[in-house]
Amino acid sequence: MTPVLQFEQISKVYRPWMGRPVTALRDFSLTVEPGEIFGFLGPNGAGKTTAIHLAMGFMRPSSGHGSLLGKPFGDATTRRRVGFLAENVALYHRPAASLVQFYGALNGLRGADLRRQAAAALDVVQLSGEAKRNVGKFSRGMAQRVGLAQAIVNDPDLLVLDEPTSALDPIARVVVRELLLKLRSQGKTVFLSSHLLSEVELVCDRIAIVVKGNLMRLGRTTDLLHGSEQMRIVFRGILPEAVPGSMSVGGHVELLAQRKYLQPAVQQIWSAGGEVLSVNPVQRTLEELFLEVTREADAVSDGGRN
Amino acid sequence: MRGVLLIASNFAREQRWPILLLILGVLALALMGLTVDLQKHQEDALFLFKELSIYGIAFSVFFGGSAINTERRSRRILAVLAKSISRSQYVLGLLAGVALAAGLYCFTLGVTGTWLLGDIGFSRAHLWYLMVCLLSACLLSASVSVLYSTFLNPFLATIATALSLTLPAGTMRFAGAGWQNVLPVHTLMDVILQAMFVGNWKADWVLVGISLAQAALICGLAAWIFTSRDVAVAID
Repeated sequence: MTPVLQFEQISKVYRPWMGRPVTALRDFSLTVEPGEIFGFLGPNGAGKTTAIHLAMGFMRPSSGHGSLLGKPFGDATTRRRVGFLAENVALYHRPAASLVQFYGALNGLRGADLRRQAAAALDVVQLSGEAKRNVGKFSRGMAQRVGLAQAIVNDPDLLVLDEPTSALDPIARVVVRELLLKLRSQGKTVFLSSHLLSEVELVCDRIAIVVKGNLMRLGRTTDLLHGSEQMRIVFRGILPEAVPGSMSVGGHVELLAQRKYLQPAVQQIWSAGGEVLSVNPVQRTLEELFLEVTREADAVSDGGRN
Repeated sequence: MRGVLLIASNFAREQRWPILLLILGVLALALMGLTVDLQKHQEDALFLFKELSIYGIAFSVFFGGSAINTERRSRRILAVLAKSISRSQYVLGLLAGVALAAGLYCFTLGVTGTWLLGDIGFSRAHLWYLMVCLLSACLLSASVSVLYSTFLNPFLATIATALSLTLPAGTMRFAGAGWQNVLPVHTLMDVILQAMFVGNWKADWVLVGISLAQAALICGLAAWIFTSRDVAVAID
């Protein structure tokens, strides 16, 4: 199956007229498969927006190449099948319905189809009642919803979203989350860049974490969150003092141990007369994984400097 | 083609207030013309008409030179170029937008000129020929400023445009009349500035054709350069 989005050994170096060149992406490779919601994470300055802008053809890679829906980055006709919402969305100041129709028309929609799909897109983001109001008078959250409406107006096969929920209230976030899940159920692909890790954890099938232009983690969300080296041992029958490092939780005692020390830890509990109830890998939150990865990247770059 | 027209109409819509102001300025001056005896002030009226014509060229340079930069700085360009619009279509659309604005200005100036200057003896056919020259000069000036704005900021693009448009006029003095057809905005301006009430006039359609052909060529060059430019600066 042809990947929906593919980066192959892409590097991007910004060369300002004055000052040192900045490498935003370094030999970056990534493949997004059809029908998945892909989370693209990284701290500020990691190169996420650069990667998205390269994919959308807003800029050219310094080296390497990539494809969007099977065509090289920058192919204008391919973008008819893509919906894009930029970070800090900037829109023309005109009535919401007229604006969404304008963007739909740029993608080749016409006449009754254009009007119907624009109205449907505004309906999805729950702005039908504001269709005649000027977008310039909207709050940031409402403008972001109009931005989302213009991204989905052409019923895209691939939706590329750069921080789509940053300005949204909790209710609107739920609307967006449901929209993403609905699109996936229709076989569409979503490429989602976000700092809202809880949102990503809830909806994304796979995630990539990029730090300082390098891809640090890539995999299924569940695998990455279960991939902890820590194990949780739950036992009873002895007091926590009997096993150093353990603590009383509810009616039982818990001990966190590194995977490689699991066997001695269990032996210790048994020797003290305890009964082991369960041994499970500790599931990290995405936030914990994210922090772990960024610290790891910092350590690597500090090591490189020293 | 539809994409080009959409971008052009959107540009004119975004610039509607300055365009309206320019048109109202022309109309206001025309109305003021009703309050004076124009027969007595023929030359003054013609001078004012010529001056307003030159403003048209200046504003075309400003519109053309700032169009891309304004869109990039506001980041509105991203949502447009994320659609199935090529860079060439985008540049062509902006230039068509400037042409639309310049066309409206020339039309207003032509109508008011017909009304005021025509009544005091200026050839109406001559006047509309001058408007065609003006529109051609506006288009050529705008295409040069759009070309520079693909890789320079609006300030530098305007300076570079001014230099490019005046350089052939200066060179012509030393290197001969052949330079009159190189970026012939100065030649077209000369046609407008030399217009008089008395004497015969002759339309030089070759000059208009050369001017439009160069505008098309420069627009193509601008599109080619813009295709290879990064339009987004990463903010993360």
